[in-house]
Amino acid sequence: MSLDRLADDPLLFYTLATLAAVVVTTGLIAVLRIPGAWVSFRTWFVILPIALGAMWLGQGAWTVLVAVVSVLAFKEYAKVTGLYRQTLFVLLVYGAIATQNAFAFLGRYDVFMAIPTWAVLAMALVPIVLRRTEGMLQWYALAIVGTIFFGYFLAHLSYLYGSSKGLGYLLFVLLMTQLNDALQYFYGKAFGRHHWTPISPNKTVEGSVLAAATIVLLTFLQAPIAFPWVPPWGVLVAGLIVTIGGQVGDLTMANVKRNAGVKDFGTLLPGHGGLTDRLNSLMVTAPAFAHIMGYLFGGFPT
Amino acid sequence: MSGAHFEYEPFSDLDLPLAARLGQFPRQPDLLYDSTRAIARRLTASFVRLQFRIEVEGSVPDVPRLALMPNHQSHLDTLAILAVLPERFRRRLTVLAARDYFFERSAGALAANLLGQCVAFDRSTEIAELRRWARLLPTIEAGWFLVYPSGSRRRLQPHEGLARVLARSGWTVLPVALAGTAEAWPVGRALWHPFRTLRVTFGEPIVDATGRDLPAELLAFWTAHGQLDASRQPDGPPACAAHPGRDPREP
Repeated sequence: MSLDRLADDPLLFYTLATLAAVVVTTGLIAVLRIPGAWVSFRTWFVILPIALGAMWLGQGAWTVLVAVVSVLAFKEYAKVTGLYRQTLFVLLVYGAIATQNAFAFLGRYDVFMAIPTWAVLAMALVPIVLRRTEGMLQWYALAIVGTIFFGYFLAHLSYLYGSSKGLGYLLFVLLMTQLNDALQYFYGKAFGRHHWTPISPNKTVEGSVLAAATIVLLTFLQAPIAFPWVPPWGVLVAGLIVTIGGQVGDLTMANVKRNAGVKDFGTLLPGHGGLTDRLNSLMVTAPAFAHIMGYLFGGFPT
Repeated sequence: MSGAHFEYEPFSDLDLPLAARLGQFPRQPDLLYDSTRAIARRLTASFVRLQFRIEVEGSVPDVPRLALMPNHQSHLDTLAILAVLPERFRRRLTVLAARDYFFERSAGALAANLLGQCVAFDRSTEIAELRRWARLLPTIEAGWFLVYPSGSRRRLQPHEGLARVLARSGWTVLPVALAGTAEAWPVGRALWHPFRTLRVTFGEPIVDATGRDLPAELLAFWTAHGQLDASRQPDGPPACAAHPGRDPREP
């Protein structure tokens, strides 16, 4: 298999790279016997085949996966915040998620960008229809956050798949965001001394900086395959979007958890928590990456 | 200036695995499972009515708090009762099923919860479980329960347990006698024998069970109207976790 072939096919490249990373990490965990690492790592044996399998099946399968995962993740968020008791708001957010992903699949950027507007307007009708005021501002606000983060933001993952040059962007942002999370955790455990935010007390300066450095380095290594048309300063921007955006997403959802007084969004992914605990970084990196890189270097509508 | 504070009320089942979430009572609202259950119970009732000829005697009172107490000899018992109830009554019904039999695994819990409207009753800690229900029931304004006072398909003798707790908490007790279900789906068989005739007899509601021997009355009603399997022992020990010798895997 030639390097040219890999350069033409980012999905093949990232599938092979992921397999290699899984083999190496499995070996490292077995040799180093890191306590607790296996519990969270083995969950990837379920996540990765589902995610990569859907990508190999095509844009339709990928879009359905993103929509289903978004709905399930929103359900976790709604149960944590109590919004789930407000059926009408929940159904409207579900509708927004489905519509957002449908128009991402169709490549209708104009409608894709307009859906959050219509969703928020539709939600404004709920208190009027229900003739209720008590608590309505809270439910409205939580539903808007749900629509934006779980519907609009995550649907960028669906849109990227069908965009010209978007597949490389998608695979890069998807895998590097997850790696960024894992690196922050492991660097923090190994070298972390200085905690920098009360929102997520496990985050350390050392973990964040070392993860950022590693991600930027890895971005330069894979840029020739993921987005070969991007100049070096653009590659630096790409790496920074992932590592900074990942932290912003993580902290945003951590804030929700702290306010609600829960540790995790759920138990669906052993060792990780809920789906939202795994997707929180992507909620920011996916739209930020798509719009900034699309604006600067093409590959996503602007 | 007064400020409006957001008050978060996370669901209490966030940390529970699926089987435990499905078995909990009171149920937490869940759009997926609630809507699936609404569809599944209609389909199941139609399917049971297609598979069996069901004769019904007596009637069910339209009261807010009702506890149906049938004899138990087959998995078909719950399905037969659900099949003969009108939908407006069926949707009120919560069936108490053994946690150790139905709610250990997700697949069993899904089937019991979605098809049979079951929630879990923990027989392994029966006294503690009864206390929990005794605390819980007075807080519930309305609800229908289907409980099997015998506790097992292999026992006939009802025991006081939950039946007494329900009666004391203000629930109207409705004796129900089932006949034909043991032959249509015997204990130990994986599948049922279709096209048999089943009979469901609803007795007179017992509004106030104070001072009455509820187990004896139930057994008398079942004996008179149900088709009880003679191979079982009507006078045997009550099927209760507090009594050693019962196979804990027997629902």
